[in-house]
Formats: sequence, structure tokens, C-alpha cells
Amino acid sequence: MNNAPHILVVDDELQIQRALRTILIEKQFKVSVASSGEEGLTIAATAEPDLVILDLGLPDMDGVEVCARLREWTQCPIIILSVRDGERDKVAALDKGADDYLTKPFGIEELLARVRVALRHSAQKQGTQSKVVKAGDLTIDLAWHIVKRGEDEVKLTGTEYKLLAFLAANHGRVLTHQSILINVWDPADADHTEYLRVYMRQLRKKLEEDPERPKYILTEPGIGYRFIADE
Amino acid sequence: MRPSPYFSSTLQYLFSIALIALTTLFFFALRDFLDTTLVALLYLIPIGVITTYGGFTPGIASALLSFFTFNYFFIKPYYTLAVHRPLDLVILIIFLVVSVVLSRLVGRAQTGLAAANAREREATQLYELSTALAGLHNEYTVAQILGKQVSALLQGEHVEVNITGPQPVRFCLPQVDAPSRPPELTVSIQAARSILGEILLWRGTPNISMGETRLIQTFASQAALALERARLAQAESRAKVLEESDRLKSAILSSVSHELRTPLSTIKAAASSLRGHDVSWDSPARVELVAAIDDESDHLNMLVGNLLDMSRIEAGVLKPKREWNIMAEIVGGVLARMKHLAEEHKLEIDVPEELPLVPADYVQMEQVFTNLLSNSLKYAPPNTVVRVRARVDGESIHVLVSNQGPQIPLAHLERIFDKFYRVTEADRVTGTGLGLSICKGIIEAHGGRIWAENLPDGLGFNFTLPLLWDGKSAPQLPMDTEIE
Repeated sequence: MNNAPHILVVDDELQIQRALRTILIEKQFKVSVASSGEEGLTIAATAEPDLVILDLGLPDMDGVEVCARLREWTQCPIIILSVRDGERDKVAALDKGADDYLTKPFGIEELLARVRVALRHSAQKQGTQSKVVKAGDLTIDLAWHIVKRGEDEVKLTGTEYKLLAFLAANHGRVLTHQSILINVWDPADADHTEYLRVYMRQLRKKLEEDPERPKYILTEPGIGYRFIADE
Repeated sequence: MRPSPYFSSTLQYLFSIALIALTTLFFFALRDFLDTTLVALLYLIPIGVITTYGGFTPGIASALLSFFTFNYFFIKPYYTLAVHRPLDLVILIIFLVVSVVLSRLVGRAQTGLAAANAREREATQLYELSTALAGLHNEYTVAQILGKQVSALLQGEHVEVNITGPQPVRFCLPQVDAPSRPPELTVSIQAARSILGEILLWRGTPNISMGETRLIQTFASQAALALERARLAQAESRAKVLEESDRLKSAILSSVSHELRTPLSTIKAAASSLRGHDVSWDSPARVELVAAIDDESDHLNMLVGNLLDMSRIEAGVLKPKREWNIMAEIVGGVLARMKHLAEEHKLEIDVPEELPLVPADYVQMEQVFTNLLSNSLKYAPPNTVVRVRARVDGESIHVLVSNQGPQIPLAHLERIFDKFYRVTEADRVTGTGLGLSICKGIIEAHGGRIWAENLPDGLGFNFTLPLLWDGKSAPQLPMDTEIE
């Protein structure tokens, strides 16, 4: 069991600690638990976990701050936990380098799915990144700039393609409005959420079976978007 | 004693001298026909007049003056102050005594009258002030009335009333800056336990007399009473409001704890039977129990969320994070999430693509649609149609969420947006009774309007949202590159 991924849970609520520890150990992960930001940073520095689950409401310091301090020296994935309506904090933590988020209360399936995606991404960073992303009947070839729906090539405008490529390359992860705008448009356009709204809609119309009920490009209300690809 | 209103003192003496001179001239002309005794008696008339209008001192002065002129012009030998006849001397002495006594008597009566008048005036002004101050609950009005009365009484150049306290009040008359010199009179408004403020008075001349100072002090104590009364009344009404909100809070608490306990009971029952051994691991009951726990905890989460939203709206901290959004996307997202709740109804969505972008908070608008739709789904019978329709209406967007559920009596149509308001009895339908009031809070925070109406076949919820954001409409998007 030495190869089992090591997960550090930083949360001050004993009930959550107990539940997460039980479930994660059940799922064959190695688990450490910290009850405060300082303790979390110390354990992270000594044990070098493969993934950190971080609650934003810690007693001693701001979770966003913990996130920033972790990112000073490690690229290990961080999944943040926060209460509903904490959109501002969530976006702040994501922009500070957190990889994903979950809103309390959350289902355990959701948590495990996020953990899997985050671990896969960190593995990809070290290895070679796959150049073809498949999602249902969609095939996105990032090397050749070709998007196919079934056998038919989908015609995309330049911006549409850039947007889709950015989403697909980060499939499974939540991408904040700001990070998309900065990467696909320009840092100067970071506030123009309306670009996103309009282009996402165009993309969905070209890619989704039912643009009103998208399967691939999901909206994360108040946060950003997430592209769902095949595992 | 205050100066006579008719003459300044110099003028009074001049008037006395003139009157005596005139009288002397008159008697002098008739000297040969008049007896000395008669002249002495007649001299008392001007002295009486002077004392009446001028007061005691001019009276005495004119008596002495008359004494000399009488002696000089009418007692032989004429034009000297010498007296030859003993009888004349007696007349002269009697004249002097009578005129002085007359002056004193008349003068004293005058003084008493003037004092009585002044007291009456003070009493009247005080009465006017206390009548004006009675029943006032506003500190500024107290300051205003006090300032006006002081100013009217003293014809001050500038009057300023300052009231200290949690919300200091300042009233100036005239409403300009005070003269740069220090005020001639400062009187503090002193209550039993503390100083509540002060009256500042600027009046160059004449100087402020003791009597006036005393009167203003009386005014100040009247004002202090009025202020204390006002503060007591305020404290009382605050206490009433607190009591009222306390009562409301316990009503909310009991309603809420009832609502929270329902899902909790389900969860507890399901969890404990799963824990015991009466449900076998592979029975369908187990699946059902687990599903119940999952559903009810979602329900519980929604209840807590509603409560939080409501308290945020109440506290006025629900600030929409506005962005240019596509209405169809918001509605689509909500419908996708509510799919499992809408299985028994037919949904008809008419939110055109071409609608302009709406400046709104995405998450909050989702909440509005969620609450309006779940309300419709909850009350409308199964197999009926629930519609969502959006149109541009002038400079706003108009959304109608309608259902074929029961209509609402006209009297209730507005009140259904009130907190904890239910048309039906609380037990029939679950929920906190907060959903619609949260919608109202959100829509109004966006500068829109929300209302309900009875439709021919059911009930409709309408709301509008402005299409302009700070007076601007949706921005143009940058040009896209060619299709690859």
C-alpha cells in the first residue's frame, strides 16, 4: 500500500475529519488530518501529500492564505471545501492556485470524482499530456486543431476554438471566468464575463445535443465552467 | 427698572426741562393775575406728568427745578432766590415737600406697573414656549422653537442652539455662520443629571440685562424638560420595536425549528434503522432508506440556505454581483437541476435566444427561478403545464412564470411575498414560507419589480429586470477571427 496516494485533509470540524478519513481510507488512500492552517502547512511540508483537501473556514487563518502559501513551493493539487454563498472566497482560492472546489454539504461521489480528476491532472503535468480529448461523440485533437462530432468536422471560429481547446486541455477541472478570459482573450479582458457567456453559448450550440442541458460544457454558477470529458 | 419705552434718559431730562420752562413761561405771562399759592399748586401738574412718563428720578429733578423757578420768578422779590415774606417761605417749603412726595408716589406706582408688565410678558413668553415645546419628540424641533423664541424675545443679532447627545443638533437663526466674536451670553441647557446643550446669544447693544438672562435660563430649563421628554419617548418606542422584533423572532424560530425537524426526523429514522439489524443489506428497503437520507439532507440544506438568504436580505447585505448574462442560460441551468422535481408537470420554456444580455447576478437569478418554479410545481396539480416566458419590455426584461395551480384571493396576492406568509395552512405544504420573499429581496436588489397575478387558468409570477447597467446597455463583443 506504499503507492497509495496520500491525501491531507485540513478541516477544523471533527465530524468532517472523521467522515472523510473513514471514506478515503476505505477507498485505499493514505490520509493525514490537520485541524488548523498552521498544522496543515507543517504536515504538508514534512509529508508532501499528493493532494490537499482544504476547508476555507479555518480557525487560525484564511483558507485562501493557506492556498497561496502552499503554492509558494508545491504544485500538488488542492481541492477546497467551502459553504454555499462563499463564491467570492472560492474564486479567490481558485485564482490563487487551488485546483477545484466542493460546496458543503457535498456528496461523496462528487468528492471522489474531483479527487480522481485532480490526481490525474497532476500526473499529466509530470508526464506527457494527451493530445486528443474525447467526450461522448466529440473528439478534440489539440495537436491538429480539429474538432469532430461523430465523423463530421465541426467548424469553429478562431476564438471558439481557442476557448474549447483551453477547456478541453483542462477537462474535469473547474476554470474560473477570470482564468479563461486571461488565457483565451487577454489579461485586460479579465472582467468581460459577457464574452464568455456569448461564446459558451455558441460553442454549446455547435457541440451539445441540447444546448439548454449541456453535457460537456457545464456552468459552475458564480465560479466558471468545467469541461467534462470521458475518463 | 427697565428704561421707559418712550424716552431715552437724556431725552427725558430735556423733556422735563422743556416742560418746566414752558409752564414757567405760561405762568410768568399770567403772573399778575395769579395768586402765588395757585401757581405753586399748578406747578404740580407738569411734575405729575413728568413722573408718570419719566419715572421717579426725572420727577424729583423737575420738582427741584420747579422749586427754583417758582422762587425765582414768582416769589417776591422777583428774579432773586431770596424770600422776604414768611408766608412765601411756608408756601415754598410746602411746595417742595408736596412735589417730592408726589414724585415718589407716582414714581413708585410706575415702577410697580412696569415690573408687573415685565412679569406678565415673561409669563406669557414662558407659557408660549412651554406650549410650543409640549409633546415634541424631535430634538431638532425643540432647538428650532427655543432658538426662535429667544431670538424674538431679545432681537438678537444671532442665536445658536446646540444640543449634544448621540445625534448632536444645531440650530442657528439667522441660518448663517455665527459672528466671529464670542457670544455675549451662553446659557447651558441643564437637565437633572447632565448638560443637554447650550444657548449662545450674540447681541451687540443694548447689553443683556439680568432679567433677560434669568428669562433665558428659564427658557433653557423648559427646553431641558422637553428634551428629556423627547428622549424618554424615543427610548420607549425603541423598546417597543425591540419587543416586537423579539416576538417575531420567536415566531420565526418556532416555525423554522418545525421545518428543520421534519427532514431531520426522516434522516434519523432512516439512519437508525440502517444501523440496527432489522433491515437486511440487500433489501430494496435499504436503497429506499439511503435515498431518503440523501434527499432529506438536501432538503435540510435548502432550508438553511433560505434562512441565510433571508437574514442577508433583512440585513441589507445582499449585494448582487452583476454581470452581463444570458437569460436562457440561467433558465436552462435551473431546469437541468430541477429535472427530477418536474417529472409530473409539463414544462414550456419560451426564453428567446435573441434577448439582450441582462445585467444580473447569475447565482441569485438562478435562485429566483428555482424558487418560482418550485413554488409552481408544489402547488399546481400533476400533469398541468408550467410556463416560463421572457420578453423585452421597454428598458427592462419581463419574465412570467405561470402555472395552472389554484388562484389566490385578491387580498393575498401582494402578501404572498411577505416572510412566512402562506395562503394555505402550514401543514399542507412543506417549506419555510421564505422562497417568494427571497425572490422579492433579490429582484428589488437588482432594481426590478416582482408581483403575482391570477391568470384565467392559474397563477402567474411576474418580474422585471432593468436592461441598463449604470445607464448603459450590453457592450459589443470584439470581432471574431475567421472560421478555421
